[in-house]
Amino acid sequence: MGKILIVDDTLFMRTLLKNILFTGGHTIIGEAGDGSEAVEKYKELKPDLVTMDVVMPKMNGIEALKAIKALDPAARVVMCTAVGQEQMVKLAIKTGARGYIVKPFQAPKVLEEVKNVLAT
Amino acid sequence: MSEFEAYRSLFVAESRENHENLVKNLLIIEKGSDPEAIGEIFRSIHTLKGASASMGFAHLEHLCHTMEDVFQLIRNGSAAMTQDLGNLLLSCSDMIEEMLDDIEGGGDSSSLNPEENITALKAWLGGQQSGSPAAGATPAGKNVVTKAAAAAEKSGKSSPEPEQPAAIPGDSRPVFDIRIIVANECLMKDVRALLAVNNLESLGTILFSNPTKDQLDEGTCDGTVLVRIASDAGEDALKTAAQGSEIAAVEIAPAGTPVSEGTAASPVGPSPANGGEKSGTPKAAAPVQDKAREVKNLRVDIHQLDHIMNLVEDLVINRGRLKQIADEHKIKEMDEAIGMVERSVADLQNLMMTIRMIPLNHIFNRLPRVVRDVAQYDGKEVEFVIEGGDTELDRSVMDGLNDPLLHLIRNAVNHGIEAPDVREKAGKPRKGFVRLSAHRDRDNVIIELSDDGAGINVEKVKNKAVERGLISKEQAAGLNTDDAIELLFQPGFSTADKITDISGRGVGLDVVRRAIESLKGTVRVESTMGKGSRFELLLPPTMAIVDVMIVRISGKRVAIPINSIIEVANFQKDATHQIGKNETILLREEVIQISRLDDMFGNSSDCTVLVVVQYQKRKCSVPVDVVEGKQEVVVKPLSGFIGNIRGISGLTILGDGDVVPVLDVNTMM
Repeated sequence: MGKILIVDDTLFMRTLLKNILFTGGHTIIGEAGDGSEAVEKYKELKPDLVTMDVVMPKMNGIEALKAIKALDPAARVVMCTAVGQEQMVKLAIKTGARGYIVKPFQAPKVLEEVKNVLAT
Repeated sequence: MSEFEAYRSLFVAESRENHENLVKNLLIIEKGSDPEAIGEIFRSIHTLKGASASMGFAHLEHLCHTMEDVFQLIRNGSAAMTQDLGNLLLSCSDMIEEMLDDIEGGGDSSSLNPEENITALKAWLGGQQSGSPAAGATPAGKNVVTKAAAAAEKSGKSSPEPEQPAAIPGDSRPVFDIRIIVANECLMKDVRALLAVNNLESLGTILFSNPTKDQLDEGTCDGTVLVRIASDAGEDALKTAAQGSEIAAVEIAPAGTPVSEGTAASPVGPSPANGGEKSGTPKAAAPVQDKAREVKNLRVDIHQLDHIMNLVEDLVINRGRLKQIADEHKIKEMDEAIGMVERSVADLQNLMMTIRMIPLNHIFNRLPRVVRDVAQYDGKEVEFVIEGGDTELDRSVMDGLNDPLLHLIRNAVNHGIEAPDVREKAGKPRKGFVRLSAHRDRDNVIIELSDDGAGINVEKVKNKAVERGLISKEQAAGLNTDDAIELLFQPGFSTADKITDISGRGVGLDVVRRAIESLKGTVRVESTMGKGSRFELLLPPTMAIVDVMIVRISGKRVAIPINSIIEVANFQKDATHQIGKNETILLREEVIQISRLDDMFGNSSDCTVLVVVQYQKRKCSVPVDVVEGKQEVVVKPLSGFIGNIRGISGLTILGDGDVVPVLDVNTMM
């Protein structure tokens, strides 16, 4: 179980994800609504894992991932993606993302991915 | 679906925001390419798609998905935005809105059929693909990669080919061959494979992989990857790194030993997973306390806010009542306590007022679309500018403002702005200009709508009024410009030569005025022939709680809003004069009309005080028996049974339980 920072520009998705992760026994230590807020929260909260949406205003998920990786090369970032965004996720993985989950979220899959990434 | 029921209202609220953003930016890219706007569109439609998929609203998701495909082509520059495409995308946006309405009402969007929209979008997409060779090339290219990957995969069924490096010269690290099999149900096999290869790379040097990382990056992978890696991390660590979610099996063996199917029999590795869970158990109690500090914003149902507001209003009434009791009985301790209560109630009231305020953008944001549609329908060119959309108004005022504003905007484009050719002949730019602005002016919010169109043709208005029998020819001749414009607000008046889809919906400016007056606001018009018109709406930012002066007229109590009172004077009966039909008084060298409210409250002979009130620039005075004092009251609107009464804006209950009418100076004059 880990301390998790949830990054998504919609409250709807954050709430959904938060409830899945909370039910899985994780601690949600923070939420961010865009990439730059995510980077700030990462510095402040030092989470064990970040779930990162790709498409966001101001700073997108890939840029935020880069910034977080620059701050902490060991950061565990799991991308939240959707079918059709394969290229974005691949770019994220090459940038250092440690996992990805696909929308619409299925609770068991989300929890499995988070668990696996936390174990590394 | 049912597990997500709790998220329905949140889904609807955010999806509406995204829909609004979509429409707003569609209108921007229609005017010309704008990377930022297309980015916003993409984000909105993408979010809408993802959220509807999560909620299981398949119809909505399908529509959004197809729209996303179209936006993709616009974004990468392989298709241009045209007016037809704009119309198609906007009608799709309308469908999204209808679906959201349905979902808000408890449906799942399936009662609406977006098939027509989707077919039209697909037809457009089909046209793009057959039309442009570049677009057609993509799938073929993808095919090639797939084939290559498949060929590579076939050769990889045995261990890596002998010409692949077995080790790096001078590197003493052990070399392993790893076969990763991605689970069949995985939706993005190549991404999963890439992730596994990447994880392995962090533990050593990859000497060879099949498909290569580049191949994984470019194309599809059918689920098996072979990797040769030099690493001293050890077999277990390597296996853990490659093993992850959606990995069906990882086979690992020192290089040279063929990786057999048999060694890989174990399915999704339970060992790291279980280990992870165990180590985490002690932390499980933490979530509750950490969660509490995260909630900073809440979404509250507006009805609950209305209910709280009602309670605050009751508190205000009862506070007045308590105060009166304390005054009557002269109980000092109670006075102090009431003083404290009073302060809290005042704070609470202010707070509630602030909470209920929402920026005008809430309704302004929909208007560019209206202007565009009307202009397109009429074949006009219009530049529409919005300013001051962040000005805040009480929600209840906002609710009533939408329709009249919509009507005025339609009018401005439909009747105000001339056709491009006509404008050109008149020496104006072909494109008409409509400006909507809002600002706060002391106690009021002022909304201005101006256009540089034809202006109001006063003679035409007079003729129409005579034609409709509203006034006689003689009356028409004697009317000045302001009075003529005033005719526009008469019920049943419309200068449109024929009824159009756009503004001829049987609703005239009289309805606009009535709607604005019911919000305790006023409408004013200025117009210059050939130059344009300007409508000014003056609105109270909130309407519930008002400062009033309590007076008596023929013994009955009446409340007059303080903000419309400009003076209270002694009433000297011998200073009154009769001018025509009107009774007037000379006050500070100004002739002011006297408005006796006998028909409302009964004949009063012993008026001693004159209350001078003002509406816009017009003054009038009301003789009253006596002024009782000033008070903050809650104005309750008249119920449907009574209907609107000109001159009375509502009722209020005073501290002693007396029900008192509140004078509406605007409609009284």
